[in-house]
Amino acid sequence: MRKVYLALALFGLVALAQSEGDGGLVEAGNYTPGPLGQITQPLPTPAGEGSVYRVGAYPLYTPELADGPGKELVQGYCQVCHSTTYITMQPPLPAATWQAEVTKMINTYGAQIPEDAAKAITAYLQAHYTPETRK
Amino acid sequence: MDTSQALSMPILKRRSLLMAGLGALAGGLVRAQTSPQAEEALPSFTGPGPNPYWNGVNPYVVYPQKLPLLRLTDRGVQLETPRAYFLTALTPNPAFYVRYHLDILPNAIDLAKWRLNLEGNFERPQRLSFDDLLKLESRSIVAVNQCSGNSRSRFQPRVPGGQWGNGAMGCAKWTGIPLKALLEIAKPKPGTVQIQFEGLDRGHGPEGKGSSRFLKSLDLNDPVLEECLLAYAMNDEPLPMLNGFPLRLVVPGKFATYWLKHVTWIRALTEEDKNFWMASAYRVPDTPNGSTTPEDVAAGKVKTVPIGHFQMPVRSFIVDPDGSAPLVKGMKTAVRGVAFSGSGRVVKVEVSADGGRSWGVAALGEYLGPYAFRTFTYFWTPKAPGRYTLAVRATDEKGNTQPDQGVWNPGGYLWNKIERQEVTVIG
Repeated sequence: MRKVYLALALFGLVALAQSEGDGGLVEAGNYTPGPLGQITQPLPTPAGEGSVYRVGAYPLYTPELADGPGKELVQGYCQVCHSTTYITMQPPLPAATWQAEVTKMINTYGAQIPEDAAKAITAYLQAHYTPETRK
Repeated sequence: MDTSQALSMPILKRRSLLMAGLGALAGGLVRAQTSPQAEEALPSFTGPGPNPYWNGVNPYVVYPQKLPLLRLTDRGVQLETPRAYFLTALTPNPAFYVRYHLDILPNAIDLAKWRLNLEGNFERPQRLSFDDLLKLESRSIVAVNQCSGNSRSRFQPRVPGGQWGNGAMGCAKWTGIPLKALLEIAKPKPGTVQIQFEGLDRGHGPEGKGSSRFLKSLDLNDPVLEECLLAYAMNDEPLPMLNGFPLRLVVPGKFATYWLKHVTWIRALTEEDKNFWMASAYRVPDTPNGSTTPEDVAAGKVKTVPIGHFQMPVRSFIVDPDGSAPLVKGMKTAVRGVAFSGSGRVVKVEVSADGGRSWGVAALGEYLGPYAFRTFTYFWTPKAPGRYTLAVRATDEKGNTQPDQGVWNPGGYLWNKIERQEVTVIG
């Protein structure tokens, strides 16, 4: 019990000293829980053998796409050539720009997307990724 | 007027400068990404306004042979170099940014089987092994590799594409065989107009489309050919896989779209290359600075040329201080960073502590070549607490300097606006 009183008395002294400004401490011992900023460290693996220069598999991350009609079509057709981080990375883009992107993928890059699916994909992107709709 | 004069001005005037600095905030001021707090994540996207952060807002990731970099996309792979790595003129290989167009990129290459093929309209087509290349006379050049779309996230209005902050660039010492030496061995036949390059990376799209193969060509009479290298070493090490092992084209002064990775085929073409990556992609308005307006694009008025017609415009970056820690009144502060130009040697870097109203000349670091990063240091002692806006601008040997207005074009290319960094001074 005496120890507690002593500790409290000391604490009081520290607090008093600080309130008079000599310590200057404004805040201390502030922690926040959570995994923010944490990256898992990969296990080192053999870099090659014989005449082969080798690196490991490239990590694939699946971004969260907005829920709504057309989402499965986007995941099915767009991911043939690229991951959907190509969508989530973009700033909010006007509806006409998304229309142009889908058209470019089909006409310029040769994406094999039936017309009705292309329309649904465009509608999905416009419903979730424009300045008016993006969350 | 230099900055020390600006800071010794009467309080009232200084306050008005501060207001000017705050005004710059609305104009796309660059903010810190090394944050004093770790309680909340950055937003997962920015826009429709400009990205206010030095780097893009993407998460850190770990890839083979790489330090944690910022991931734009995972298939194809696009990774941005964090700001802190630009304090030195040479960017470390494990921190060097990565940008692929296609998603089937090599994980393993057998050097015993790999050959560099010189084919097409050559008198003496070649199949050279890696050992053959190592036996040829090599040359080294220190040069900046910068993505055409570096800083695309600053554009207003925003444009689609890789939403890079400023970290889609790096500078390395590249060592390899001069392209001209290889051409002398293979001897392009008369009628050759372009030299085409192709690497090992492929895409899932149909053959004949840009989604299947990535091909770039340079005119046979382009003076840049004299300076091009096929590099097998980067900062005296083999190229990291994600930076183009075993061989990468180095095109000093030009944007990285021409710096093909995993180069395996060099072709002499008798006709201009009309493949997608030359005829449709990486084109910029044929205006003096490659800038246009959304209105002119919509009206179909814009004539375009390949971005290879441009040298990389002069740029400079404040790397430190980055705004994550306050500065202290009366303490000498080193403002540090790098500058470069695709048109040659950087001859002057100026730093402003009042948002660009007055400038002082920074000391330049070692000269490593006309196309290299040049480090700079500018000492500034803040004399009063408050918020200040630092700015930096570089000038190259041709007299090119940085504008205080951003360009705009639909591809999001050629950004080189004066960079700003807000700092807080306490005391």
